[in-house]
Amino acid sequence: MSTVTLTIDGHRVTVPEGTSLLHAAEEIGVEVPHYCYHPALSAPAQCRLCLVDVEGAPKPMPSCVTQAQEGQVVRTDQGLAREMRKGVLEFYLINHPLDCPICDQSGECKLQDYVHSEGRAHGRGVEPKRVFGRDDFGGDVLFYGDRCVMCTRCVRFMEEMAQDPVLTVVERGDRAVIDTFFEQGLKDSSWSGNIVDICPVGALVSKDFLHKARAWDLDHTPSVCPNCSQGCNIDIHTRDNVVHRLKPRENPEVNGHWMCDYGRGRYEWTNRSDRITEPFARGDGGWLAPGWHGALPSLQERLEDCRGPVHAVASAHASNEDLGALRELVERIGGGDIVYRSARASDEVPLPGFPMLARRRDLAPNTRGAELLGMHRVGGDDASGGLDKVAASTGTLIVLGDELADQPEDFGSRAELFVYLGAHPAPAARSAHFVLPVTTFAEQEGTFTNVQTRVQRFEPALRGAGNAQPAWQVLGALTASLAGEPAPASAAESFSRLAARVPEYEDLDYDQLGAQGVPANRPAAIAGER
Amino acid sequence: MAISVKVIRRPEAARSSYLRAALKGMSLTFRHMVNPRKVTRSYPEEPTELHPRWRGTHRMEVHADGRPKCVACGLCPTVCPANCIRLVGGEDDQGNRYPIVYEIDEFRCIFCGMCQEVCPVEAIHVGQHFENAEYTRERFVYDLDRLMEQEHPVTALWDPSDPASE
Repeated sequence: MSTVTLTIDGHRVTVPEGTSLLHAAEEIGVEVPHYCYHPALSAPAQCRLCLVDVEGAPKPMPSCVTQAQEGQVVRTDQGLAREMRKGVLEFYLINHPLDCPICDQSGECKLQDYVHSEGRAHGRGVEPKRVFGRDDFGGDVLFYGDRCVMCTRCVRFMEEMAQDPVLTVVERGDRAVIDTFFEQGLKDSSWSGNIVDICPVGALVSKDFLHKARAWDLDHTPSVCPNCSQGCNIDIHTRDNVVHRLKPRENPEVNGHWMCDYGRGRYEWTNRSDRITEPFARGDGGWLAPGWHGALPSLQERLEDCRGPVHAVASAHASNEDLGALRELVERIGGGDIVYRSARASDEVPLPGFPMLARRRDLAPNTRGAELLGMHRVGGDDASGGLDKVAASTGTLIVLGDELADQPEDFGSRAELFVYLGAHPAPAARSAHFVLPVTTFAEQEGTFTNVQTRVQRFEPALRGAGNAQPAWQVLGALTASLAGEPAPASAAESFSRLAARVPEYEDLDYDQLGAQGVPANRPAAIAGER
Repeated sequence: MAISVKVIRRPEAARSSYLRAALKGMSLTFRHMVNPRKVTRSYPEEPTELHPRWRGTHRMEVHADGRPKCVACGLCPTVCPANCIRLVGGEDDQGNRYPIVYEIDEFRCIFCGMCQEVCPVEAIHVGQHFENAEYTRERFVYDLDRLMEQEHPVTALWDPSDPASE
């Protein structure tokens, strides 16, 4: 590929031919302020904020669409370029209400950032500002017209990515405003949450997040969306051990910059307060809370005594490490079927402008991981039924993560030993001999394997409830003490045991999965096709 | 090591007498008795005058219709060095952003006045007030209603007509 060498702010930089000045400046660590340009959308060069001074050019050039040329001399941060930005920012503030104290974007607002770093200290406007008020766009989106900077990123997202052009600019001049057609709203778009993400100011805000927290109070934890098998990379935003919102994290191989509204809106369950916080064992007179040090050895004894067939119910919401530890334990005590139930949607919802991304049919993050571990999906598309054989078991019965919502109260009452591991209390598990608290995906680290068989890591965003432990730790300790081996000390160690067991994970190393995940080895049959 | 005895002589009477020191002290006392500049106050009958920039417990300003002026922008809990302000924002029925929970732990507070300084809507103020006795510790966590009920004068951290001290 041919390259060009140019000078930006006195630094020489070599970039591939066709690179825009804005990206060339990024190479040397200079961020040219911009609104309308977004890497995933077309560049109309209309915000006029990314104007830079190019030597020899008759006028300032918009850096988002100007291609780097050999020998060009570009100035982004001094003289004319800076004066122009100061002027453009002053125009932006003519009608901007400056209601930062009550604006949800405050703290992550590009207008705030740019004006603070290079705008005028005091406004010179004397005329009253025009007022639009706010408009409900439907879905989770609220529009504050006064704050809008007319970058039209939202219009272009709906046009180019969602390919459902329901937004447009109406009127002209200072009366121009983003609007939907004839009060139709966003018409239940499945991707409308993304326009809130890409809005550089507080014009489009989320109703769900409205006034809930300030941007600077939120801790961001890299994670993976738990709501379908696409496994979109996300950041979990938490404050005071409460999840407040999910935001997409860029991963060009999985979700680009986007995530669907279905995944974005389903995080409340991570904040549920009805949790199992202590390990319980059934004694003669009722439930006992012997603590982990009491529960695990007595469970180990019971497991050693059990001779009947082994049945296990897993959950596709559990991490690979959890499922691997369950598989290992089941094989250690004699082997048996592991089944899982998960909800399935009737269809996929793809993002037309980025077809790799879709809300997948499987509404659990780790169905592929469960399949690779030889677990079978049972039951209907609403994650119910299918457990008749398991419920009738007279041997050992282990349930991990499945809340058994549709099961009768006497579920597993015929089992010789019934162990329930879960985060939330399950009424159907009242016949259990042991109820052990485990953490949710948001409280532990681990990996999910998505629909592309890509193994992706997530980090703990919350503190675990009470004495809950990750399931891989509980099950790993049990297997280890049954076998007389040391227990896995970390998720990484648990994953390396998994890698030794599953050929697809053979070459993977937990520490090298990184923030973006790594595709698992293709099974030989598929690899041969390539 | 041989034990040795150190002999200390008793000081002579002129130096060891307390009479001289007692008289010296009493002379100061009697001087104050006739001094016209009295410094003792009959508190609480005579209220104490506070310095104009005295920073005491907080007070929340209210609108004419009784709503708190606070817009729950979150700047005071952010700036507070003692981390004594707890704020949960929300939207009221008229679409205004307002504090659902606004609590100040006056025991944690170090009375720096930065909450007042940072407030964009002049809602929270430190007050010209120091009589805060309570029977329980819990009563020192002032909630929004309590802060709005306070009637004591607020502190002028700067001249309102010249906020930048120009």
